[in-house]
Amino acid sequence: MEITTTDLGLAARVQHLTKSYGAGESAVTALDDISVGIRRGQFTAIMGPSGSGKSTLMHIMAGLDAPTEGRAWIGDTEITGLGDLDLTILRRRRVGFIFQSFNLVPTLDAIGNILLPFELDGRRPSAIERARINGLVETLGLGARLRHRPHELSGGQQQRVAIARALATAPDLVFADEPTGNLDSASGREVLQLLSTASREHGQSIAMVTHDAIAASHADRVLYLGDGRIVADHPRQSAEQIAAYMLAAEVSA
Amino acid sequence: MSAVAAVVPESTETGPRLTWLRDRGMGASILVAALSSAFGVVLVEATAYIGAMLQADPYIGDSGTLAVVVAMLSVLLIGVALYVAAIVTANTFSTIIAGRTRHIALVRLIGGSARSQRAEVARQGLIVGAIGASIGLIAGLLIAWAGVAFADRMLGDVPAFTLMLPTILIPTLGVVLTTWAAAWVGSRRVLAVTPLQAIAGSVERSHEDAAGRPARHVGALLLLIAGVALLAFGVLVGLVTPLGVVVAFLGGLLSFTGISLAAVLVIPPLLRLVGKLFGRSATARLAAENALRYPERSSRMAIGVVMGVTLVTMFAVALESVKVLLTKAAGGELDSEFAIIMDSFAAVMMVLVGISAVIAAVGLVNLLTIGVVQRRRELGLLRAIGLSNRQVRRMILLEALHITITATATGLVLGVLYGWIAAQSLLGSVRMPPHFEETAGLVAPAVPWIPVVVIIAATAVLTLVAAATPTRLATRVAPVEALAVD
Repeated sequence: MEITTTDLGLAARVQHLTKSYGAGESAVTALDDISVGIRRGQFTAIMGPSGSGKSTLMHIMAGLDAPTEGRAWIGDTEITGLGDLDLTILRRRRVGFIFQSFNLVPTLDAIGNILLPFELDGRRPSAIERARINGLVETLGLGARLRHRPHELSGGQQQRVAIARALATAPDLVFADEPTGNLDSASGREVLQLLSTASREHGQSIAMVTHDAIAASHADRVLYLGDGRIVADHPRQSAEQIAAYMLAAEVSA
Repeated sequence: MSAVAAVVPESTETGPRLTWLRDRGMGASILVAALSSAFGVVLVEATAYIGAMLQADPYIGDSGTLAVVVAMLSVLLIGVALYVAAIVTANTFSTIIAGRTRHIALVRLIGGSARSQRAEVARQGLIVGAIGASIGLIAGLLIAWAGVAFADRMLGDVPAFTLMLPTILIPTLGVVLTTWAAAWVGSRRVLAVTPLQAIAGSVERSHEDAAGRPARHVGALLLLIAGVALLAFGVLVGLVTPLGVVVAFLGGLLSFTGISLAAVLVIPPLLRLVGKLFGRSATARLAAENALRYPERSSRMAIGVVMGVTLVTMFAVALESVKVLLTKAAGGELDSEFAIIMDSFAAVMMVLVGISAVIAAVGLVNLLTIGVVQRRRELGLLRAIGLSNRQVRRMILLEALHITITATATGLVLGVLYGWIAAQSLLGSVRMPPHFEETAGLVAPAVPWIPVVVIIAATAVLTLVAAATPTRLATRVAPVEALAVD
């Protein structure tokens, strides 16, 4: 019997993952035989300079893109080889997304956006889920904003609505792609604290792609990518340590 | 399907300076201009041909009345087609501008003035109009040539007739000018673009500010009230004299202009009502919100179709009601030969006004397509958080259905009303043998079912055609596109 992702204490993992674009001479390898797991209940930051492959890794782990070679799991479900419909349903039910910008459907108000994953599934939230959503709305301070549309919200408020939507379904894993990239530092810090609280107090597994050392310093674990490989794997670090490491990697490259 | 093909001009061999012609929407604008100019040319030729035929007829040759009536009818029909085409083109240009906001802002940032930007858009309208009108001129001449050859063979000896009339330039130039003007009107939004929009990563505003021109709305309302009053008065006058139709005609003109001007007030509530029919599922709600995202755009998109459907229905109902009125006045029997003449006249008129509906339909197909192209990012987001491809298809089909159902239903209701009023105000006082003492009086509107079925079938086809290209484009959007920074 094969050992499962759950047995390993992981929320998601990839094995011997390779992703290349193009063919022949002009082929570009974005990911080069990566094997890594995202630990359950942890807040993991994936760092690396532009072109290191961190976004590609996240896309494949989240079921948004297919690898050239290798396998990927979310929970105990192997997602490599799943069809488009199965992947869509998997993302809907078991993955949460927070993007850098344009996170919300502009025609729906805040609560409409938060409930969207349930409605796409053709159902209403259960009593437990409703309690969870109410808790999130309260924690995120969105109570007075639920009937506002995205353009009536500040950037920080929009990001909080996106967090509420991502956490509402209690997904196996939340993927955040530069979630603070478009925010001022105060709103950015707030968003990061909300994410680390979600993982610390509610055991939410979160993977965050970033190139911002301060953002990564909120995570329990920092993975460094360079040229399509994992080059380092550190437990929680300070922003100074992360920045120093990144700088050293840039200089030596 | 030619409409769809023309929406995406694949590879026109144009110089580098004309690359904008390949922008989505330009092809459709050329098609709209070509359709209306070909229609105009064919009508002018047909009018002249009928005139020549009448002149040659030894019995009616000298009385020019019939020729004048035919000429007036074609002027009216060309006018309606040009009007619808102008609305469609203005709408298309304003939608294209909305998609170019970033580009315009960039040019503004490096020093271009808003006025020169707008002038450029107008110039593009002029070129689009000229290309379309020329294509239409050639197509119209070919159709007219084939038609004349066919008529000559059917009718035998016909006086010499040349296709190269100077008057065919009138609709052609009319199309160029209206397209130019429509591009100018549609480019108003250019003036509102600020240089800052080139660098700001601002969130898209989900709804245009529809309010803001109360003067126009008050004017439209006054027109509507005056028009309705005249329509009612026309029916009453019609019970005494056929001149009631003149009053009613004026009322129809005023009230419909009022409806067109106030479209942005009238159509959105109807769209919302139709939206309720589709239920509360996520796809239905998204579709309903999309149909109302740009109320002005949707309203103008719908009003063109409303116009076409209203006119077709109006002729069908008017002619059918005329038959009922005459039958009643005649005491129950109508000359069958006369009924056949009426039916053929109705059929010809319906086809002729149907051209406006086709022009409006081209605009609708095109705008839905541009609408999807302009929200690739949003579609990517929806796909990422769990909208399946099947749900994408459903959403876009519902979005198209929203507008087509709203427009067709509105057009049918208006057409029945206008058609009935036309017949009633003209013939309410008619006396026929053998009962000369009694007038026809009031009758209920007579709705012939064949045209209604044809209109509903055409709406269904239009909906499917309108949804085809946007669906194909939308289902190709990969979820990863939501993550693209720009």
